[in-house]
Amino acid sequence: MNRIFQKPGNAIQWFDPRGRQLGYLAFILNRITGMGLALYLLLHLIMLGKLAQGPQAYNSFIETVHHPVFIFGELLVIFAALIHGLNGLRIILTSFGIGVEKHKPLFTVLMIAALVSGVYFAARMIAR
Amino acid sequence: MSEKWSLHIEVQRQKGKEQPHFDRFDLEISPEATVLDAVEMIWAFKDRSLCFGHACHHSTCGACGMRVNGVEKLTCITLISEVTQNGGTLRLQPLRNLPVISDLVVDLTPLYHRMAEVKHPSVHPVEENEGVASQQIAQAGKSNNPYTRLADCIECGLCISVCPAAMTSPAYIGPAVLAGAQLAVVMDEHVCAIVDTQNGVWRCHSAYECSEVCPSHVQPAQRIMQLRRHLLSQRIRRFFGLQSLHQRKQ
Amino acid sequence: MDKPKAVIIGAGFTGCATAHDLALRGFDVTVVERGPIANGTSGRTHGLLHSGGRYAVDDQESAVECIEENLLLRGLVAECLEQNGGLFVALDESDLEYARRWVQSCERCNIPVEQVDVKQALAWEPNLTSKILAAYTVPDATFDPLRLALTFAATAQTNGARFRLFTEVEGLIERNGAIRGVRCQERTTGKSSELYADCVINATGAWAGKIAQMAGDATIVVKPTPGVMVAYDQRLCNRVINRLNEPGDGDIIVPQRRMVVIGTTSFEVDEVDYIPVFEDQVQMMRECAIQLIPAVAATRQRGAFMAARPLIGSSASGRSIARTFKCFDHQETHGIGGLVTITGGKATTLRAMAEKTADTVCAKLGITAPCQTREYPLRSYREFRGSDAYQ
Repeated sequence: MNRIFQKPGNAIQWFDPRGRQLGYLAFILNRITGMGLALYLLLHLIMLGKLAQGPQAYNSFIETVHHPVFIFGELLVIFAALIHGLNGLRIILTSFGIGVEKHKPLFTVLMIAALVSGVYFAARMIAR
Repeated sequence: MSEKWSLHIEVQRQKGKEQPHFDRFDLEISPEATVLDAVEMIWAFKDRSLCFGHACHHSTCGACGMRVNGVEKLTCITLISEVTQNGGTLRLQPLRNLPVISDLVVDLTPLYHRMAEVKHPSVHPVEENEGVASQQIAQAGKSNNPYTRLADCIECGLCISVCPAAMTSPAYIGPAVLAGAQLAVVMDEHVCAIVDTQNGVWRCHSAYECSEVCPSHVQPAQRIMQLRRHLLSQRIRRFFGLQSLHQRKQ
Repeated sequence: MDKPKAVIIGAGFTGCATAHDLALRGFDVTVVERGPIANGTSGRTHGLLHSGGRYAVDDQESAVECIEENLLLRGLVAECLEQNGGLFVALDESDLEYARRWVQSCERCNIPVEQVDVKQALAWEPNLTSKILAAYTVPDATFDPLRLALTFAATAQTNGARFRLFTEVEGLIERNGAIRGVRCQERTTGKSSELYADCVINATGAWAGKIAQMAGDATIVVKPTPGVMVAYDQRLCNRVINRLNEPGDGDIIVPQRRMVVIGTTSFEVDEVDYIPVFEDQVQMMRECAIQLIPAVAATRQRGAFMAARPLIGSSASGRSIARTFKCFDHQETHGIGGLVTITGGKATTLRAMAEKTADTVCAKLGITAPCQTREYPLRSYREFRGSDAYQ
């Protein structure tokens, strides 16, 4: 008996888009944004932890996050949340059997929505 | 007809416990020939030790699935001209997520066993618009439709190879099997127990790639979603103390 | 007492069915096959479970075999059959002429033929050409080639037969003028091994002449006679459509899954390991298919393939050679013991071919065991265990 059991691929192979279609792109986007949001959640909790160290620590922290790099980071978080959330909505809908046949246009429409609202938020943030 | 393309064909080889590696063959072949023709030519004229799966050569048996330049293809119906150009390179690899026997062959029998477990019918009635007019079916009486045909799913394993969820969770029963369950005539408790689990219908991550590579019109992803809908509605019914759908049918 | 040992070369239809038959008769069976199951002629068939009608006029022996086995297999392998029946249709005067002889011949061969109204035929098969002049129903069916072979293999395996796939026979082991086994090489590892047996069965179809030559017997001549088949990407009919005339090129259209497959041609080759698909033959098939089902003209081609029928050699050529099968005991043909060759025939008669072969083997070894394959229920093809078959 000679069967070579293929080792399960490492998750890095998830991100290989070569030869793949739109549904797979959605899958990759959801992985990336999901991980990004999890990372943000961690940072967010650390930030909230500053509150426990008193008002001074919190205020000085807030000073540092007004730096453009952090603004840009926040923008990324907004985009990630919109993409992940709206894509998640698509998955919930299709899991209820809604829009299954139209999953590609659904994805396109939702991503345009994510982009438009993302730009809107960005404009508001920069205007402030 | 006499036009020939010269191709470089890189074939993944693996014998026994050795590490997989690529062998390169140069081949003159008609662009209208299939990828499977190319593989068979390499075996016939260049390297008799090459192992590959094949039987029917016209997409009814599902034995010749391979990854062609990284994309899952049923090689007997994939023309050379669809996947490369004159002077191009073809990289052939075995399907993923199934045990490799040697070179380009994988063992599909684990998939067959799973299909049997979920009671996927291998023969079923012909549907309307498949050459049978609706009035003919009506005449024969829906339950007594005299037209039967072999099922769409040819159990080729392409969908399992392409599935990102199957890639990282070997216990996932996979798109073909879930589609098979959705097509099962009776979704009884035995089938539900296999499907309605973490490694069943809920493992799918909605990449829809299974439907993209399916050579046989099965649309596994869409069927997985229909199955989810069915199972969710059953849960909701149970929550409100209503009878489940399949109990009602009996 | 030790079981008698049999080694079968070839896991096509005949090899798998013979393994099943011999396993039931108490043999210790090993099947060696150089590739996967049904990778040669068996896999590449048209998929038509013949009613026998095609052979009724010219080759009544084959026709009778076909109808008997056809009716038997319907009960045994329902899992891999489309049992929609078939139609023989006449398109011109010469077809109508032939029809009279054909109906009589079918009656003689016990093939149930019934004339149906042309309107009825067109109502059943709306894509059929409206030019048909007459139509007859016959009990044709469609099978899935790989799954048909696997059904027999799975049952044989359940009853103890061993399958060694990707194992190529390199030579026969001969002792005292008798074949005592095979030397083979595992293609998956490159390892060589020897298998001993009381009887070696050469079930290699179109390659049978080559194995017989390994034993030094050149009397068995197999004429590999390939034909092309073309699959189209839509299920344009539900019944098998046969042109009601002498067997000829492109006269049968078989529905299968969501396809129709038309075949076939007939020419002779010497080398059968690789037979190219000839574009002019594919074109001819398309024209023949359009005559019967005009909608083929607008349907995408899905695949084209070539398979070599194993016709048993004689001075006759091509289609005039009988399509029946023959089982040779090499003791009788060339004075070599321990070797039996089965070749010729066609998919529809696989069980009968196996029965005849097993009878010959039993008679050779002085074993009395009745054939049980007529009534023995077959397992599902899905039960075949690859884990025990790949060496």
